[in-house]
Formats: sequence, structure tokens, C-alpha cells
Amino acid sequence: MQITRVEATPKSGEGLKDVRGDVVRRRLKADHNIDFSEVRSIVGFLINSDINATLISERADDLFADPIIEYSTTNQTFLQSPEIFSATPDIVISVGFKPGVTDNPGKAALDGFRTIFPSASLDSDISTYITYAFYGVNGQATPEFIASKLYNNLIERAVISDNEMCNNGDWPMIEYPEKPPQEFKQPAHIDLEITDEQLIEISETGLLALNLEEMKTIQSHYRDETIQSARKEVGIVENQPTDVELECLAQTWSEHCKHKIFASKIHHKDLETGEESVVDSIFKTHIMKPTHDMQKEVDWLLSVFHDNSGVIAWDDEWSVCMKAETHNSPSALDPYGGAMTGIVGVNRDILGTGLGARPIANTDVFCFGPPDWQGDIPENLFHPSRVLRGVHSGVRVGGNESGIPTINGAIVFDERYLGKPLVYCGTVGLMPRKLPDGRESHIKTPSSGDVVYMVGGRVGYDGIHGATFSSLELTEESPSSAVQIGDPITQKKMLDMLLEARDAGLITCITDNGAGGLSSSIGEMAEYTNGCRIDLAKVPLKQPGLSPWEILVSESQERMTVAVKTEDSAAFERLAQLHEVEATAVAEFTSTGMFHVQYDESTVAYLPIEFLHDGVPQLQLESEWVTPKHATFVPPTDADHNSILIDMLARPNIASKETWVRQYDHEVIAQTAVKPFVGVERDGPADAGVIAPIHGNPRGLVISCGIAPRYSDIDAGAMAAAAIDEAVRNAVCVGVDVNKIAGLDNFCWPDPIQSEKTPDGKFKLAQLVRANRELERICRAYRLPCVSGKDSMKNDYGKGANKISIPPTLLFSLFGDHPDVRNTATSDFKAAGDRIYLVGESLNELGASEVSFMLKENGTCDGIGGTVPNLDNPAKLFKSYVALSKAINSGLVKTAHDCSEGGVGVAVAEMCIGGRTGANIDLDGTGDESLWARLWGESLGRIIIAVSPENEEKFLETMSGNTTTYLGEVTESQLLTISDGYEEVISTNVQQMVDSWQGTLDMTGGEI
Amino acid sequence: MYTPKVAVLFGFGINCDHETAAVFEMVGGKSTRVHLNSFITGLDELSNYDILAVPGGFSFGDHLGSGRLMGNRMRFSLREELSKFIQAGKPIIGICNGFQVLVKTGLLPGPDTNEPDFIQRASLTLNDSGRYEDRWVTLEFNQDSNCIWTKGITQIDCPVRHGEGKYVMPDRESLAKLSANNQITVRYVDPNNQYNSNNDEVLPFPKSPNGSMMNIAGISDKTGLVFGLMPHPEAIYAQWLHPDFTRGTAPSTNSEISWEGQGLQIFRNAVDYVKSIND
Repeated sequence: MQITRVEATPKSGEGLKDVRGDVVRRRLKADHNIDFSEVRSIVGFLINSDINATLISERADDLFADPIIEYSTTNQTFLQSPEIFSATPDIVISVGFKPGVTDNPGKAALDGFRTIFPSASLDSDISTYITYAFYGVNGQATPEFIASKLYNNLIERAVISDNEMCNNGDWPMIEYPEKPPQEFKQPAHIDLEITDEQLIEISETGLLALNLEEMKTIQSHYRDETIQSARKEVGIVENQPTDVELECLAQTWSEHCKHKIFASKIHHKDLETGEESVVDSIFKTHIMKPTHDMQKEVDWLLSVFHDNSGVIAWDDEWSVCMKAETHNSPSALDPYGGAMTGIVGVNRDILGTGLGARPIANTDVFCFGPPDWQGDIPENLFHPSRVLRGVHSGVRVGGNESGIPTINGAIVFDERYLGKPLVYCGTVGLMPRKLPDGRESHIKTPSSGDVVYMVGGRVGYDGIHGATFSSLELTEESPSSAVQIGDPITQKKMLDMLLEARDAGLITCITDNGAGGLSSSIGEMAEYTNGCRIDLAKVPLKQPGLSPWEILVSESQERMTVAVKTEDSAAFERLAQLHEVEATAVAEFTSTGMFHVQYDESTVAYLPIEFLHDGVPQLQLESEWVTPKHATFVPPTDADHNSILIDMLARPNIASKETWVRQYDHEVIAQTAVKPFVGVERDGPADAGVIAPIHGNPRGLVISCGIAPRYSDIDAGAMAAAAIDEAVRNAVCVGVDVNKIAGLDNFCWPDPIQSEKTPDGKFKLAQLVRANRELERICRAYRLPCVSGKDSMKNDYGKGANKISIPPTLLFSLFGDHPDVRNTATSDFKAAGDRIYLVGESLNELGASEVSFMLKENGTCDGIGGTVPNLDNPAKLFKSYVALSKAINSGLVKTAHDCSEGGVGVAVAEMCIGGRTGANIDLDGTGDESLWARLWGESLGRIIIAVSPENEEKFLETMSGNTTTYLGEVTESQLLTISDGYEEVISTNVQQMVDSWQGTLDMTGGEI
Repeated sequence: MYTPKVAVLFGFGINCDHETAAVFEMVGGKSTRVHLNSFITGLDELSNYDILAVPGGFSFGDHLGSGRLMGNRMRFSLREELSKFIQAGKPIIGICNGFQVLVKTGLLPGPDTNEPDFIQRASLTLNDSGRYEDRWVTLEFNQDSNCIWTKGITQIDCPVRHGEGKYVMPDRESLAKLSANNQITVRYVDPNNQYNSNNDEVLPFPKSPNGSMMNIAGISDKTGLVFGLMPHPEAIYAQWLHPDFTRGTAPSTNSEISWEGQGLQIFRNAVDYVKSIND
């Protein structure tokens, strides 16, 4: 074996440019105002193989370089070449991966290498790097500062040549990253007959995230004599857990996997009303119960809560499922890898639903610190612009390479997300109601004796302790092993293969390997047959030397666990081989009642299934509500609403996200009828995604979301209600069938458990109680069942005085039926003369509004306090949604837009932008007497529509009995004018609004 | 009447296989999604089919250049079968990643003879913007081309969804020859005609989404049977997929199929061509 270095660099010449280098140049300019005249790039490959350098060099242009556009060189660096790098760069930085980190280009290169050299030894490997050469710096920038913007120390390494070294021809030579040998350790056993303090110490030092009561529950399990004698029979230590068992329990019992806070018994006090009550599991009381009640009334709720995603019947032939997840902690440490793992992970939840569903659409919602943040950054974390770029590019690569369109999403900004960004990723799946063999696809059918395969990627040291780590707050010492990089192509191959296996009737049970790895995936599936036996020695590894507990809990990506009948094993393995997918039989289902883990012949874990899944004691928690105090938002008496509109459009929460969203493939699968951007120039905002997934059939699905974290500052209950109402409004705007909508609740909360490090835990828990009470109330009123959800409860950074806690945030995602996508509406004004109406009413609810935050931040006003938008009468709103949806999906109305951040003012501005046309609006008679409330207020339940004059009468008939107020007309001009009766308050040119709306988040670094 | 059999390749990160199979069926073909390895291992034979489609996607993650690794697999493992297929006069289409694959195997633009030599003569490289983007473009078709796929089509709207769609050739002579042979089948044009489509100057972004030389969006080989393009005509099989359809301004077609999108004609042309030979 020897290491050969091959480099490729773009040719220069007419029409050719070094795009990779230029992207770095423009990014440094956009984010840091550092202006280089030129940046050039070199891609490097370090080939560790028995094929010698001469042979490799002869074929370099067949594989490593594209001879039409690139030069290649072998066993030297281009920087030494005076023909190709004639000018001496000022700085050179080479970036490569750290040992053991997933190197996707390297993996692909190795595959290509084997096509060309089929005889290359089996342990050949390729590692990649990129070198940037910088020329002509304008401004202050040290090589170290530039480098810090190009790589992440957690997973990558950089070698730098500064100016002097460049002048001396001393070039950075990055070396092949030898993986450090892993030491195989026989399972240890841990004595739990120790003091309480020592029990806690074991939990803390081992990153187990188990509390004292849980540790004591484990302790007493091993004191049980029947347990001890059963253990003796299989030859495992009788009265102590092995490290495999303790790790397995910690993963299975983690907050991440068991949702202990949502399952806890809460003693709730409301200090305002004097109410004292007990909530025995928020989840069962406020989420599960309402959905189960609704399940009795409809026939389309096929599978709720217990599977990897919730499934509804769409029509007689197809069912649809959806799931959303968060991947916050990993995205904080490695935005790119963390977010990519998030999106490909939730795709696997869909593949692991029933007997396997096909992912057909992605959604993503991000919450970040302000992109132009000037203040301090917490130790170990990144600037929000870097987080935005990294998260976006992880989700982009993950979604695009998997061939799943990203059709809906949002980006929200708030200072408190500096400590922990929120990365919500959702996926919609489609499956035939019945498989060719007659089985219903949403029901898993495992039986004892089935062979359990691990399919897809291998197990490595990456991703150990992800589940427990995300159940702790972020600190400076957060471990790098909890971070991974996804490999979408390995997963795509697996997905293709498993869907063929499903249709061939080969699968009896399938689930994803996510948090907790094999311990969770096989452990959960074993509940169906009441037992399993796993042999960890059979599990294929990325590198030798992993110890049994590491193999069991590693969260290495791109793996599914699949059960197959013994007689189907051969066919299953043949299919895997065709698709070049690794599938290894690692376990079998039993009915012994035991989670039995072996390493070869010896038993390393032997836990009763019941104890593993139901043994965790219920938490007892306290909550206490007091209304937060804020200085009241008092709007200024003399204000220039024109300039407020222009400033509002530039607010990051309102500004166009087109630069980012356009980089997602939103049209693969050829089904997307309403795309993320609409209108004449295809740059106006869409309210919801609409797809027609069965080719040739216009029957559709609507996907939307709602999120309103700012309202938590006043009342987290109002925040939850607003999120749900927004998701519904967005869906109504495109004409969803309101009688068939389902929702997903994804809660992200700061730690709500009262403790020394969380002195306001009771209040944060009370916020959670209020949010869930509102969730139940609104969902019942809207007949909107929650079919799946997730919670992430430790979104804090640091401890003590400098702790940063996120605002309590509920993302509500919605999917629903659309009878015919040909009858849908979009937000862009269509034609001059169209009549504009406001459906709903504007109340005086300016508390925590976007305008209040803006005027507080710029010093015009003192506070954001006041009445936050409330949903006092959801039944009334629902009635208007039913009528409006009907008007849209019957083809009467072609223009509709939701009124949310920035109220009517921002909504009509966006409608003008989409249509590139003006409008005359009169706000008189649209609600509260305060102009501010009617112009900028964010009252719920409001949608603005425009209808052609010939359909106006029919529209008004359809809306009869619902508050529908005439606002004005679309005009030929390029001017938006808004008046309040006789007083004109806004008159703004459309192009000026476009410029303001599109400028803030462009971040492309200028012309190309 | 003969029903043309279409092999739609999939595997290794191809991801437009379902819709590509669907559009051929809509115009009277019989599509089969075939894993590339089925042809390589002999489970299935390329010669069983009348049309080969290489759909879009991210084969092998586009690492080492888009379409490169997939192209190599075909170039080294399927060379003879592809040669025979082409010499039998059977049509091939490559869309997006499929176009990149055909360029990197050397099937496009191909040699001056009708026998493929698997030599790469052009490339598709990173967009000048450096960004992968999904956006709609307007395409103009060469009326003097002998390409069987594009007969009778003048202009259509469809989306591009790529990060590496900039068509380049090593020198002006190669481009001039391609142009003289009428192998430049499809070009990006300005729908508002602010820029003259006869001009070879690169259109400004985003009218040209990638900075392609001579605004090239797609090319065909000498025989007119092998065709590749970066934009996605299969993504506009129905008018409801056009971004302007809620405005009532999505372009319609002369087809009898109500709500037919402009892209379908490309696939109908090939199916009809095969039918005309076999009937």
C-alpha cells in the first residue's frame, strides 16, 4: 500500500472560470467584507492503494480530472507549477477531513477507482481535500481568520501558508488522515451498589443523562432475584449491568427517545387565576386524546402516533404520511453535517413507516440568530450567517441528492437562537394502500423467527451518544463524536432497493436507525414479537476495534433495520447485491420476552423487553404560571408609514428568502403545482406547497406550516394557537379541503425542569402546559388531528448567568387533501380591476408584533407588551375557512394571501410584488379603530383575496355569513396606495418594495 | 400498432426515473425502470428496448464532476451494448444528469461518424453563479436540426435544476463545427426578446442560468438520435406544473389532451419515430 497524491485544478481561458474559488471570494465579501481580487481552487485526492503512482497518473484524466476543463497532476502540488500558478498567491489554505469523518467525495472517488482498477486491494481508500489560493487582499485579514471561515475544527483540519511561506515556496501539504486504531474492549460490568452521589457521577461522566431516580430504578432491577437467576442461565453477570446494558438503557430512556417531560405528571399552578391542577402526561391528555376522539368520527386516520410517521388514507389507492424532526444540537456544532443528517434522517422515518413509504416532499424550517449579528458569539458556536449557510447547504445537498423536492418551509430570526439554532426537517411520504401481496402497507407484520437485517451504511465511531447528548444542554465541551455527516447517495441506493423489496413482498417489518442506533431500532421492533436476539459480531463496521456497546448505540447514518421471513432471505440479499447495498443479517425476532444481545457466543446484554421500554419511572414536575411583564407597545403618534413599510419589508423575518430557497430542488418528481415562489417574475411568496404526486392526475396534496415564537414572550399559549392558525390559513389560501387536514406538532423548548441551572424551570413548564392546552382547544375546533410529532426539550446554551434559552417554539406542519390542483390560488395579484377583500377582522392586538419589535429595536418605542393575537372564537374562523377554501378549490378565486407578520400592510405589499402591479387599498371599516392595528396588527384568522369582477358576486355569496370586507382594487399603475378613509397613509412604488424585500437576505456577494 | 419499449435507467442516485417513465407512457410508450446493474450483469439486455432514457438526478453525488462516475460505468461496462443500440438506430435521451452522463461517456456530441467512439469532446461544469438553482427558463429549438426528439418544436418553458449545467468546449473551432452541423439543438433565450436569439453572446444571468457557451441548453449527435439537454421537459408534462398557470398565462399546446404541457411533445416525437419504423 502506498499513498498517491492527485490534484485537479480548473483550466483558465475564454469562457472558463474557477467557480469554486470565486464562490469563496464572494462569500468572504458578503459575510466579512474581505475583498480578494481572486481566489483559485485545487481539488486533491490522497489515494491509499496498492496501485502504483505511474498507473494512477496514466488514468488521472479518466477519473480525477475532467480533461476538457481541468488539469491534473500526480504526486506534486500545482502550487509548484509555474505554468499553471504563475503568480505567487498571498495566502494558501488547504482543508481536509479529520480521520474517521465521512468523506463523501472520497467515497465516490473510491467507487470510480474500482471501476478503473478492479484489481485494487480491498482496503484501498481515498481521502479528499481542497486548497484555496488567495490573491490581492483588500483590507485586514489574517490567514488564520480566513481559514476559520473555511473549515470546522470539529471535523476538519486546515494547513496554512502565510505570505512569507508563499514567497518561499513553502506550500501546505495536507497528509492522508490515518484513522487512529480503536481499542476493542470486552464488556465491563458496573457495580451499582454505591451511594446516590456515585450513581449520579456514573450518569454524568458517562454522558448517560439519567437522573437519580432512574439510576435507582436500574439499581433495583439488578437486585431482583428472578432477574439474577435468569441472567445466570445465559451466562451474564448476575447482579450488575454490563456497559452494554447501561448504555442501552440510557439511550432508550433518554429524553430524546422517551419524551419524559411530555409523559410526566405535572402539578400546575396558575398564580393569576389561582388554579391548581394535575396534568398526567401532556402528550396523552392534550395531543393523543383529541386525535383518538377525532379518529372515531372519520375513516381516514389509518395510523397515528405509534409508527415512525402518521398515516392518513388519501384515496382508495394511496395513503400519505408525514413526519417532522429537529436536529438542533448537531447543527449548532456542525451546521452542514448536522442539518444534512437531519433531513436524510427524517426521510428514513418515512421509509420506515408501515412496510415502507416513498418520500415525495421535504419541508424545512430554520430558526437562527440575526444574520447581521454584531455581538458576541458563545464559545464553540458559529456566527448566525455561518450557521445559516451551513444548515442551508446541508439540507440542500441532503434533499437534492435524494431526489426529494423541498416544497415548503420558513426561516425565522431571533437573538436567542444564537445559543441553539433550530433545524426542523419534515418529509411527506406516499404508499399504495395495499401491496401486490394484499397486505395493507401501513401495518407491520413481523413474526418470531424473522431474520433482522441491517441495511445501508456501516457502523462507525461517529454518532455515539447522539440521543443522550441532545438531552443535555450545549457546553463548550460538547463531544465531536455526536456529530456526523450524511451520505445521501448511500441512502438513495438503499431507498431504491428497499422500495423494490417492499413491492416484492419481502419486508415484514422496517424501521429507521436513528437516535440510539441498533439498540433502539431492533429494541422497538422487538416489542411486536416480544423478543429478539442480536449478534453484534456480525455487524459490519467502518473500522475494526469498536467495542460491543459502541456497536449497539452508534448512530452512524444511512441504516435501516428490516425484518424478512427466512424463506425470503435469499431474494432480499440478491436485490441488495443488484443495488450495491450492504445488507447483513444481524438478529432474529423471538418471543422470549428478552432483549438478548450477544457478541459471538457470549451474552453481553439481557434485558426484559418490558423493563427496557416501560421501566422508566414517570417524572413528577411542577409548573407555575405568571404573566410576563413587558413595557407596553405604544405606537408613535406621528409616523411615516411609507418608510415603516420599506423597513418592515427588509426585516429578516419578513424579507425574501429566495436566494436560499431557489437552491432547493422543489420540482423533482414533476408534481409541484404551487412552487415556493410565484408571480410574474416568480419571486412572490407562496403560502403553501401544492403537489399532484400521481402523474397525470390533478388530485393534490397541500403542505403548509405555521410558527410564531415571538408571541411566547407574552404567552406561549397564544404562540401555539397562532402557529396552528397560520398553518391552516396557509393551506386555505391554496384551496385545501378543510375536511381532510392533519397536523404535526414539533415542540422546541428550553429546559423546563426546575433546578439549580434552571431557576425558572417552573415558568417554562407552565408555558408548555399553556401551549398544549391551546393546541388541544384549537385542533378540536378545527377538526385537525395531530398524527405525529416530536419534542426537543433542552434548547439552551451554557449554564448560570450567561445561559441562553430559546423562546419556546412550536412548529405546526399541516398536510391535507386538495380535490384538484387546477383550482388553486397564489398570492400574486393577477389583473388590474380585480377586486380585493379582507376575510376576517383586525383587532387591537399589537403585542409582540413584528412592528413592535422593530420600533423597540430602533428606539422609537419602549416595549413590545400589549395584547397578543388570540383565537377567542376558533369555530367562527373555521367556518370562514370552510367557505373560502370552497371558493378557491371551485375555481372562483385565483388570488389569496395569508396575513401574518407585518399584517395587512406587508401582505398587500407582497401581493403587489408577486404581481408586479399596484393596488388601491382602503383600510376603513376593517376592524379596530386604531390604524396601527388595521395596518400592522397580526390578528389571526385573516386572509386577503382578489377576485375578478365577473366572479365577485358568486364569491360574496359563498362567503355569506363570514366577515368579508372590501379593501380596494388591483390597478394598472406600479403604485401601492393605502388609505384610511380619506387619509392616504402609504403610497409606494412596487420596485422600491421589491428592492427592500429582496436585499436583506441576498447574501450572494454581488454580481457573478 | 407497435408499442415502443422504453428503458428508463435508475440506480446510484438517478432520481427523475419515475416521472421520466411516466411521460413516455403518456404518449404511448411502455416504460420499464431498469437498474443500470441489470444491464451490466446481464439480468436484462439493452437490446430488448427501443428507446433509452438516462434521467436526471445526482448519480454518485456528482462527486468528481457531474455524471462522471456513471459515465465511466457505462463507458467501461456497457460499451458494446451502447454501440449496438446506436447503430441499430434507436433513440437515446439524457436529461440533466443524464445529459452530463452522455457527454462524459462521449456519446454527445459524438464523432463525425455514426459509430460512437466514447471520446469526451465537451463538458458540463459548475454554473457561473456557483449555485445549484431551480428556476424556469425559456428554450428555443433549432429548426434546422435533424434531431428526431425536437421535430416541430419551436419554443418551450421548463425548469432547470442543476449546479453544473454550463456547456463548454475546449476551443472555438469545436463550437463552430457543432453549430455548422446543426447539433446545437436547444438554446436558452430571452422570452421578452430583449436579447437577440441569433447572437452567440452569453445571455446575462438568469436568462442563461449557468453561463453556457453560446447559450447551449442541449445538443444532439450527428445522427439526430442521441439527444441531451440540461432543462427538464418531463417536468412540464401538464400545464398545472407551469408557474404561470394560476395566472391563466401558461402556454398551451395543440394536443387533444386537455391541460397538456409543452414538454410532452419531445417524448411523443421519439415514441412516434419508433412506431413509424416498426409499423
